[in-house]
Amino acid sequence: VAPDPADEPVEQAADYPPELARLPPGRHGLPREFVAHNQRERLIAGLAEAIAENGYTGTTIAHITRNAAVSRRTFYEHFASKDECFVAAYDTVMEQLRERVGEAFDGAADWPHAVKAGIAAMLRFLAAEPHLARLCMVEALVAGPVVVERYDAAIQSFVPYFQSGREGRSPEVLARLSPTTEEALIGGMMSLISRRIIAGRAGELETLLPDLAEFTLTPYLGSDEAAEVAREG
Amino acid sequence: VVENASTMRPSPGRHPLSREFIAQHQRARITSALAEETVAKGYRAVTVADIVRRAGIARNTFYENFSSKEGCFLAATEFAANEALRRVVDAAGEVDSWPARVNVGLAAFLHYVASEPALARTCIVEALSAGPAAAERYEHSIQSFVQLFRLGRKVSPHGEELPETLEETIVGGLFWIIYQRIVMGEAEQIEELLPELVEFSLTPYLGAEAAKRAASERPRAAAG
Repeated sequence: VAPDPADEPVEQAADYPPELARLPPGRHGLPREFVAHNQRERLIAGLAEAIAENGYTGTTIAHITRNAAVSRRTFYEHFASKDECFVAAYDTVMEQLRERVGEAFDGAADWPHAVKAGIAAMLRFLAAEPHLARLCMVEALVAGPVVVERYDAAIQSFVPYFQSGREGRSPEVLARLSPTTEEALIGGMMSLISRRIIAGRAGELETLLPDLAEFTLTPYLGSDEAAEVAREG
Repeated sequence: VVENASTMRPSPGRHPLSREFIAQHQRARITSALAEETVAKGYRAVTVADIVRRAGIARNTFYENFSSKEGCFLAATEFAANEALRRVVDAAGEVDSWPARVNVGLAAFLHYVASEPALARTCIVEALSAGPAAAERYEHSIQSFVQLFRLGRKVSPHGEELPETLEETIVGGLFWIIYQRIVMGEAEQIEELLPELVEFSLTPYLGAEAAKRAASERPRAAAG
């Protein structure tokens, strides 16, 4: 496939999410594979931007290609449909989010602080990237069954972080945790986060850290210890 | 007797039915057809033609009642949300302590979900993807339940020290678990979750032990 002239970036780089940065404008003479990979990332960034402006249902392929500064044909070389592009975008964002959370969790001294660090990392990521936050926490639920399934799976993927808090607890504590404790805690947390994003308050998400840490730690540690960890530093 | 008109049935021998009654009945029939179609193919794919066919009415009749599919959807969720809230408040009014009210209120809510799985799916699962007006409706529902849970601060030893967002997180968690069960097609067995959901809701207010005790009790009705 010969390079499409319309694929030359035409717009100056706007404030794109740093993770999804575009190629610098101008001729680059880069290997085709690299260009293709980069086009894909530009399309994903273009989709995120279009969604922030128009919502998922209001977004058209023309919006995406305009933001990404590629041709319509290039879009269809990478994705069969808007839905497929969204799924790719969602997976990319969630992978980054999971990576941040995992690193923060693994770097903490003990389990309660690991949970707090994981939540902090998630809030920081979402607050710094409001477009991506909207894409993965709000629009994912609008984008049809395939994405909703992925959203559900993503929530489930956070369950083990909380479940590991059961290790080493006394039998009395274990007896009062139910099979759905972790799901309810994560669901409650995600619901609060997405409602803040819908309300246009993504930038303030980090202020929720003490509340969310206390809420999620209470079933395992009891109110007093949970509040202490939550309100530290 | 306060009864929602759309849940009334005509008493035999009391004819002719009033125009108003027929209209209410028609609307209930159309909204339940929408709920069934939504379960079958997802809200986005449902057309007015599907609803009309399922309800067994003329297309004109649909448009005499609703301006669009969206209007019909909002009416269905509005009806269900009011009905759920009414059942919760009625049930809670029958017992005297706040933990017991949470217990019977949640029981009434889960019972409603289990008895109307199609409507529950439409309101809890599909509402999230049905556009801004539906999202606002959903938010309004969450807020009503948030207000009911807030009353727990008065009986909690931690009272006003509790996190400001606690009730929103509890209601969000409950809705999430219910959502999950509906998505898995387990709406009819949802009442089995009552003890653990009560415990989940009460733990932040009462501590884990008292919450577990309250969750395992069969609430005693208030005198009278």
